[in-house]
Amino acid sequence: MTTATRSSRRTLSSLGHRIRSRPWGAIAMFIGPALLLYLAFVIVPVFMTFYNSVHILHMSTWEQEYVGLEHYAELVPRLEPVTDAAEEGVRILPFQLVWGDKIFQLAVKNSLTWAFLSPVLEIPIAFLLAWILFRKIPLARFFRIAWFTPILVSWVVVGVIFRWVFNNEWGVINSVLQAVGLGALAKNWLGLPQTALPSLIAVTTWKFVGFNMVILLAALSSIPEELLDAARIDGTNRLQMVWYVILPLLQTTVVNLLILCFIGKMKQFALVWVTTRGGPMHHTETVATYVQRRAFGWRTLDLGYPSAIAVLWFIVIFALSLLFTRLLQRREMLEY
Amino acid sequence: MNLRQITRKISTVVLLVVLFGYTFIVFIPFLWTAVMSFRTTNDILDNPYGFSWPPYLQNYVYAFTKFGFLRYVWNSTFVTVGALAITTVVTSLAAFGFARQRYKFGLREPIYYLIFISIMFPPQISLLALFQILVRYKLYNTLWGLILVYSASALPFNIYLLRSFFAQIPQDLEDASRIDGCNDWQMFWRVMFPIARPAVSATIVLNFINFWNEFLYAVTFVTRQEARTLPLAVMFYLGEAWLDLGMLASGLMVSVLPVIVLYLILSEQFIKGMIAGAIKG
Repeated sequence: MTTATRSSRRTLSSLGHRIRSRPWGAIAMFIGPALLLYLAFVIVPVFMTFYNSVHILHMSTWEQEYVGLEHYAELVPRLEPVTDAAEEGVRILPFQLVWGDKIFQLAVKNSLTWAFLSPVLEIPIAFLLAWILFRKIPLARFFRIAWFTPILVSWVVVGVIFRWVFNNEWGVINSVLQAVGLGALAKNWLGLPQTALPSLIAVTTWKFVGFNMVILLAALSSIPEELLDAARIDGTNRLQMVWYVILPLLQTTVVNLLILCFIGKMKQFALVWVTTRGGPMHHTETVATYVQRRAFGWRTLDLGYPSAIAVLWFIVIFALSLLFTRLLQRREMLEY
Repeated sequence: MNLRQITRKISTVVLLVVLFGYTFIVFIPFLWTAVMSFRTTNDILDNPYGFSWPPYLQNYVYAFTKFGFLRYVWNSTFVTVGALAITTVVTSLAAFGFARQRYKFGLREPIYYLIFISIMFPPQISLLALFQILVRYKLYNTLWGLILVYSASALPFNIYLLRSFFAQIPQDLEDASRIDGCNDWQMFWRVMFPIARPAVSATIVLNFINFWNEFLYAVTFVTRQEARTLPLAVMFYLGEAWLDLGMLASGLMVSVLPVIVLYLILSEQFIKGMIAGAIKG
């Protein structure tokens, strides 16, 4: 388009705007209902949560009591110098984090463990499976449809079933271990502090691998055949092909999936609530379950403190997702 | 047959074994539950991995008669259909309004951007305040409360997805329909909406799964037995009848079955709809 036509179009359209004013009636009809719903059930509650987080809000009477940043002071860990001289030798840093709320500390630790471990478990397994299906395996369509199923089933159903799978006396895992002569390894998976969280992480991996696989397979199939042929002619072997050709081409998809997986695990709630309720001794407590527990489980009847947790976690999730997007997506995108 | 072909055959067989192994891991929890739902709890406790013949159907009968699953199935259906209707109408209208040049006004892009970034919000950021709001407006413990909350929670992503679809429709089509004398509503309903139907059905599938399975809002906003949805009912069932495994298994099957049946019929649409959700965040 030449400059002349572009500018003449611009004058024409601005003229048009001046002549007939904007169709406000139509705008209100199209955008209005969504805006109302969004204001009432998203924007207003978000502001209320921020407001509540600097108050104590009694749930029975709805009385509010301003406490300033008191909740945050209890939640945010402080950096303090290590004073114990005997310990100083062992530590690398002369500072330590001191948490006011020990359960919150555990919840943060568990949520972060989950969020950082899951992506490195799910995506590689999913990629491996997608790569196998991509190589024209018979029944590929059947496998694709079958593996996708777990994502469609609710966390409640998955949770109940896996309570049985991990059951100490007659669960699938222990029965299989006994059957192959490894009965010594059988244990109460969800009841022990060391195995409860890893077991739940295994469940989320089981649920999401197929979903990630389908997306990676779609991305693989969209790579132009000529590109792969060219690489083959250049004499690359299979591993080189995956590392140097395929993965760079899939970067956007893989990064999206990693971040999606990360955010999902930072919000983990239902599975924990149905299986362990955060136990044993808060070893599977996540930030989301702790919010629920502080709001409705404890007899404090205060919505202010859990609101402060929610605000903090909201900021952490936002900051980390932005950081990862920047870090991982920075390299030049390959065009094809 | 030369050596090369033989090694290829062997590698295919090995891979197939791996793939079937993984399929087994995916399905064994469901199959096991399905089998248990047709057995008495005593049989299950005798041998958790056996089959009972003839199948014991009483679990399902009890689930519906004694444990009120008819009510819960109805509640889940009502909430899901209601929220689907509201979400579909409201978000396709809004997405259209946000997408087309004709409806541009000063604050439109900032508003759209705000809606867009709220895709990333964790539900806890509004959860407790929503509880407060629902209690105040007598929507706590009601299905309508859930319907409104579900619709609002689906807004940002649905608008984002449909907007990009409406934005791709050529301007010429819009101009032509205006020349033919369509007003704004007719242009949307007769011309644009039919074109966007594939995208709309993708969001319907995604929303159906999310609404049918939703747990966090349900467990926070509903305590009354008559207002429980299926996921809630299953959880309470767990507390009441922990030892009645056969019954619980049949309850799980009832809540999974509609999804699975639809998936068998519409598997490709399901996959498409759920994949659309992957851009989320």
